[in-house]
Amino acid sequence: MHVFGPTELVEEVHKRGLCVGCGACVGLCPYFLNHRGRTVQVFPCTLTQGRCFAACPKAEVDLDEISRHHRQRPYKGAPMGDVEQAFAAKAGPEMPVGSFQAGGVVSALLIYALQQGLIKAAILTGRDENGPKPAIASSPQEILGCAGSKFTTAPTLAAFNQAVSEKISPLGVVGTPCQMTSVAKWRTNPLKRDDFVDPVALAIGVFCNWGLDQRQLVSFLAERTDVSRIRGMDIPPPPANALIVDLGNQKMTISLDEIRPFIPETCHLCPDMTSEWADLSVGMFEGRPGWNTLLVRTQRGKDLATGAEAAGLLETMPMPETNLAHLREAAKIKKKRAFMNMNKRGLLNSPDKNGIALLRVSAEVARSILEA
Amino acid sequence: MSTITQDRPGESLLLQGNEAIARGALEAGVQVAAGYPGTPSSEIIESLASAAEEGRLYVEWSVNEKVALEVAAAASFSELRSLAAMKQVGVNVAADFLLHLAQYGARGGMVLISCEDPGALSSTNEGDSRQYARMMEFPLLEPGDFQEAKDITKWAFELSEAIRNVVMVRSVTRLSHGSGKVALDELPEKRAGARFRFEGPLTGQMEGPVASMPNTVFLLHNRQQDKLRKAAEIFETSPFNRYTGPDRPDLLIITSSACHLYCKEAMHLLGIGDRVGLLKLGTTWPLPRRLIGKHLMAVDRVLVVEELLPFLEENVKVLAAELCERTGSIRFYGKRDGTLPSVTELSPDTVAKALSTLLSVAVPSPPIDYRKGVQEAAAVGAPPRMITFCPGCPHRASFWSIHNALAMDDRKGFVCGDIGCYSMGLYPAGFETLKTLHAMGSGTGVASGFGELGQFGLNQPVLSVCGDSTFFHAAMPALANAVHHQSDILMVVLDNSGTAMTGFQPHPGLRQDAMGRMAPAIDIAAVCRGMGARVEVCDPFDLDQTRSTLLQMLEQGKGVQVLILKQMCALSPEKKSRKPFEMSLDPEVCVGESCGCNRLCTRVFGCPGLVWDKKMKKARIDEVICVGCGVCASICPAGAIQKREAA
Repeated sequence: MHVFGPTELVEEVHKRGLCVGCGACVGLCPYFLNHRGRTVQVFPCTLTQGRCFAACPKAEVDLDEISRHHRQRPYKGAPMGDVEQAFAAKAGPEMPVGSFQAGGVVSALLIYALQQGLIKAAILTGRDENGPKPAIASSPQEILGCAGSKFTTAPTLAAFNQAVSEKISPLGVVGTPCQMTSVAKWRTNPLKRDDFVDPVALAIGVFCNWGLDQRQLVSFLAERTDVSRIRGMDIPPPPANALIVDLGNQKMTISLDEIRPFIPETCHLCPDMTSEWADLSVGMFEGRPGWNTLLVRTQRGKDLATGAEAAGLLETMPMPETNLAHLREAAKIKKKRAFMNMNKRGLLNSPDKNGIALLRVSAEVARSILEA
Repeated sequence: MSTITQDRPGESLLLQGNEAIARGALEAGVQVAAGYPGTPSSEIIESLASAAEEGRLYVEWSVNEKVALEVAAAASFSELRSLAAMKQVGVNVAADFLLHLAQYGARGGMVLISCEDPGALSSTNEGDSRQYARMMEFPLLEPGDFQEAKDITKWAFELSEAIRNVVMVRSVTRLSHGSGKVALDELPEKRAGARFRFEGPLTGQMEGPVASMPNTVFLLHNRQQDKLRKAAEIFETSPFNRYTGPDRPDLLIITSSACHLYCKEAMHLLGIGDRVGLLKLGTTWPLPRRLIGKHLMAVDRVLVVEELLPFLEENVKVLAAELCERTGSIRFYGKRDGTLPSVTELSPDTVAKALSTLLSVAVPSPPIDYRKGVQEAAAVGAPPRMITFCPGCPHRASFWSIHNALAMDDRKGFVCGDIGCYSMGLYPAGFETLKTLHAMGSGTGVASGFGELGQFGLNQPVLSVCGDSTFFHAAMPALANAVHHQSDILMVVLDNSGTAMTGFQPHPGLRQDAMGRMAPAIDIAAVCRGMGARVEVCDPFDLDQTRSTLLQMLEQGKGVQVLILKQMCALSPEKKSRKPFEMSLDPEVCVGESCGCNRLCTRVFGCPGLVWDKKMKKARIDEVICVGCGVCASICPAGAIQKREAA
């Protein structure tokens, strides 16, 4: 993977509207900062290579290289990536009570990992009165405090960078597909540093179709309610076509058509719905409220899920093939659409004048996805 | 005792031009002096203030130049001699009152000193106030050297009383800030008593109400023009207009002000004293018609040497046209034919070049070893430096936070600048934060206008900055305007507790006046709240709090908000000798050019107290220059810079 510097990051990612504000470049240096969901470079930096570029999930992401590093095989372009096992899952009887988005599986896995000493802290997305907020959680309480989907883009990985700089290790990281891509890219040591240490012991990805621009959503909601009253949000499966905002004692329903304009363009270029580069991926389980879909992708993921279940923190059931097929189809549609969009904008493989592509895959895989 | 109050008539002192002007005023028995600081004028009021401490006169730093002229006028109306001093732009501020003042006239001798800055050495413009004399019909005097700076000022009071109108004395940077030998006259013992007479008719120059109304304008205007004619008559024999040279020169130079010295030097350099006549004028409006006519009759060619616009040139040409039957045809050289430039200041070199062309004489080259010496000295001369804020300057910290907050806010917010050291916010020193810059108080006025454009789709946050002295000078009306019209602006008052750029003169927000007396201080925050603005106050050295306050105010966005960033100027007398923090930098921790810093402190923050050690590839603190403000400890991403409270 070729690593450029901050100037190229600004030119090729920020100015082309590709930055999703994941936080991968935030906290590494004084130059990239995130405020209310948006990442900016406050002063130019003259370096020709930087960790900012190395970590960015929207610049020079070579999926073949990532796949070879993490999965020891070339990237094939499967709709949901590499899936070893698929379950319907929810928090087990030993789990403390929490206000989970669905089954509480992410919290259960993290609490188990923490209890077993597999991780020292988890990188999560919490929430304060201003919106989603990166968090370093090192206790079950802190983990439970971050439960619940946020639906807006968030600079979660700023907390990852902070934890790394504070030498907190090993780490569990929970994030969206873009964030899991960044972490996976970062873990390949793209800068080929001799002193590189991989601090990630566990990567849990969440399913994501798209995020919403934090500022636009907040100002939209602020016109309708007191934003500080918001306890949570939910987007129920189709055909609901609605965002349900939990205001504590009442719920507000907003048509998705009203908020779709707040989806950043870059989300339409994202080929990953299920966080393919995580050890485990967690999403909603369609048609079964209170349950999650759990995809196990790595040996590490498999061991964790098995252990958590044995410890009574997790409960699983086999995932019916019809459900899995449905999920696969949705993931395939997202991937194909993203590849088409990238292709249209010249961001796929074909480098721009500076030789920088958003994503690189083999020509063969690209063709198979585009023709799928 | 200050230098200029020495009562030693006949003796000579080395005086700065501005001190000579102040001495001239003292010799004339000036009793009230007022001004607003501005380079190159500030030392006049400062010198007089030192004399005021000896009880000779009343001196104030007024809130702005218009008020200064009004304060001085009140003394004149009370039959005292008074002076107002300001820089060229200040005359514009005072101009509205000046028009009315000149129309009615003065009682006690009243002198307006305008110190101007051709070449904009310390200005953002090359304003030329001589035009006011013609436009508003009062006399203009221009001293040609340091002795004249004193003598003309002194005489200006007599002239003012002779014609009963205000007289403008115009100086320029090279005269105001140069120094020369000045022979002293006596200082008067007598102090006049003040009385304001208003019992007479509305048009009574010395005893009526001082006012002009539509029905008195014609009478007053006629009276004003009579005064000018009287002045012109006096000027015919003024010793400040001098001619040197042959009876029938090849070329006549007409000049005034410091240019007269450049002409003398250029003539000396070219050795053309026998061919060229030099008519040096000290009274440049109205022109003495007979005197000029006499000299024009003796020549065919005239070069007018003056700085900036062809003021003198055009006025002489008008006379030449009127007198053409007697003078015959004359070829004029100056600005209008491009012989001399109409911008920037002149020098002996520019004048010598012009003369060399006109007279076909070569400019002698300096000796070869002299030229070599100059080249060698220049080669190792001062290294190129970026214009910047002093070490420990609160403005650097303020702009750091404003810049970062605007960048993070990411809506292309911008700052309307104002006049002060903080005008450098336009440059990298202030992270190029300012996007407009005009006159005193204009930042907030322009912002007030931008803040109304939301209805037309301007969705960028609008900020203004202004200093504490500027706040009182001209920003208050702009703020009132913004509040009343519900403009959406964030005004940042960079309160460094003084008129810092011009030398720390007091202003109404401070507890001391120009004469060192205790004075009630006006609270800027209370004024803003009183006007209806939402006000926050922060210490700009607290970067985190300042930035988060700015971000929160930017987000709030509606109506007029004021953020006062209060931290004393690093050069303030109270701060100057004290280091609040001992700073240290651990080179082991400094990551230098590596990813993660890339010299943030020396490449971007740019405090002169921080030095990049090229050999070690580490930052270093220059202990001699560092004033220990502690701000760099907050910006260092590696934690290499530490601050420890000084004992």
